[in-house]
Amino acid sequence: MTAVESVRRRPATPASLVVAEQELRDLWLAGRGLPLALAFSVLLSFTTYLVATNQGLNFLEQREAVNVTLQVAVAVAALLVLLWAGDAVSGERERGTLEALLLVPTPRRALVVGKAAAALSLWLIAFAVSVPYVWFLGRGVGVVGVALGSGLAVGSLLALFLVGLGLLVSVFASSNRLSLAIGLFALLALFAPTQMPSGAQKGWAGDLLLRIDPLTAGLHYLGKVVVDAHGAGQDASWLIAPAVAAVLLPAAALAVAGRLSLRSGERA
Amino acid sequence: MAAAIETHGLTKWYGGLRAVEQLDLEVEAGVVLGFLGPNGAGKTTVIRILTTILRPSAGSFAIAGIPHTRPVEIRRRVGVLPETAGYPEGQTGAEFLRYHARLFGRSRADARSIAQHLLGEVGLAERADSLVSRYSRGMRQRLGIARALVNDPQVVFLDEPSLGLDPAGQRQVLELIGRLAREHGATVVVSTHLLAEVEELCDQVLILHRGRVVAHGTTGELTRLAAGPRRGRLRVPVGQLERAAAALAAAGIDYAQDGRRDELELTIPAGTDPESAAADVLRRLLAANVAVLGFALEGGSLSDAFLAMTEAS
Repeated sequence: MTAVESVRRRPATPASLVVAEQELRDLWLAGRGLPLALAFSVLLSFTTYLVATNQGLNFLEQREAVNVTLQVAVAVAALLVLLWAGDAVSGERERGTLEALLLVPTPRRALVVGKAAAALSLWLIAFAVSVPYVWFLGRGVGVVGVALGSGLAVGSLLALFLVGLGLLVSVFASSNRLSLAIGLFALLALFAPTQMPSGAQKGWAGDLLLRIDPLTAGLHYLGKVVVDAHGAGQDASWLIAPAVAAVLLPAAALAVAGRLSLRSGERA
Repeated sequence: MAAAIETHGLTKWYGGLRAVEQLDLEVEAGVVLGFLGPNGAGKTTVIRILTTILRPSAGSFAIAGIPHTRPVEIRRRVGVLPETAGYPEGQTGAEFLRYHARLFGRSRADARSIAQHLLGEVGLAERADSLVSRYSRGMRQRLGIARALVNDPQVVFLDEPSLGLDPAGQRQVLELIGRLAREHGATVVVSTHLLAEVEELCDQVLILHRGRVVAHGTTGELTRLAAGPRRGRLRVPVGQLERAAAALAAAGIDYAQDGRRDELELTIPAGTDPESAAADVLRRLLAANVAVLGFALEGGSLSDAFLAMTEAS
């Protein structure tokens, strides 16, 4: 009997948790997680400083200042989540580490779920980093709680959506560069409706576009709740697209993850 | 007892390109199989099919008695060092092995003990906590071999384990494979271009060419199968060269003078037992009072057989 055989078998942890644990360790202890979180907090500090002190911007009411900071936090966190998820499979493929992962008896979906957990942790940390900034800008006007609650809800839906999108692209992309390029293009396309002239956003077509785009719909909802002080349920229809996308994209990513292969487009 | 590896009509097409065709193979348990073939012969494709990374286009196979329709069960029983194995630069050697042991269902404590044991086996115990990014190429290959053993596999596939290593590194890795094969008792399939080492290490050899098996057997069987004409190199004193040539001519052996003035190159006909023919030549030379300064039989190595078979097919 070899030494490996002689190791006493103890109950094993579910595979997705093992992958998630390793991915989180790789991201936060040995990887780029901490520098990204630091860069994120520098960006929020800069934004907060601007909206709180800049003479040109200080016409902003406190609620508007909170909304600007919260939207920047959600948008940048969404970018980080998308980039990380986009690297999850195509990055392994490019670094030559995917084959070793495909050789384990772990279900391929469990590998993808574990990687999704690491990408989602970026959003959670980014949100945690934004809390003091939101508190600082919103203190005294009773907006902190509602801003943090709605920010967490919208941001989590968008993070789930973008994790799904990133993984979906990553499973099929033959290279990391391609995966990141497609992800960034998709994100820019999702932000595009916010750049339309305000007149165009007001017609039925503009309204529909804003509502079906999960990103613009989510940010619009934040604005309604934080700036206009609407109740959380009053504009809940704006959360339909983010909620649907948060279910559909991860589900699609999980569906294709079962067919994860060494080369994109190959039958495994 | 089920064969360690069994394939029937295994075929793989990439679009219009045939990578493997009608591979029928049976390898018994405990055998160390040298898997040879020129570049592009289909070795890596076969290994990837047998380790469930690729699906065959046709045919079937079983590993340790498990049919290819149960890939997860096969993965539990095989250990693999892929040809282009990458390693996570941010993990230490120990962390990498622990992670893979846990992916094979071992608990945290078991994984730690397996990693420690295997790092010792491959001579990396002292570098267990160094980042993989600081490992040399040879150390990475040894780490990859250790990874292939985390699940105590019944069949181990090592695809080009000595690729990119210097001669000392190649030697080290091949010795390690030999030792592990003996100690673990697993069936080992080694794909390599180092034919001399295969001759030393492997019980059996399989030669693949253009996706087809051109030979499978022991090294001795293969060199006999190749059965091309063998050459002998005879060295005699310069003054006795003519006498030696006359003795060879009388024995009906073709010869030619080599570049050196004191050497003759003999051709031993195919189908003749080369050792008996050599003994006969030496007897005749001694009878003709020729002082033999040196005699060596050439050809008949695995390398010759490999070249003969791949060129012939």
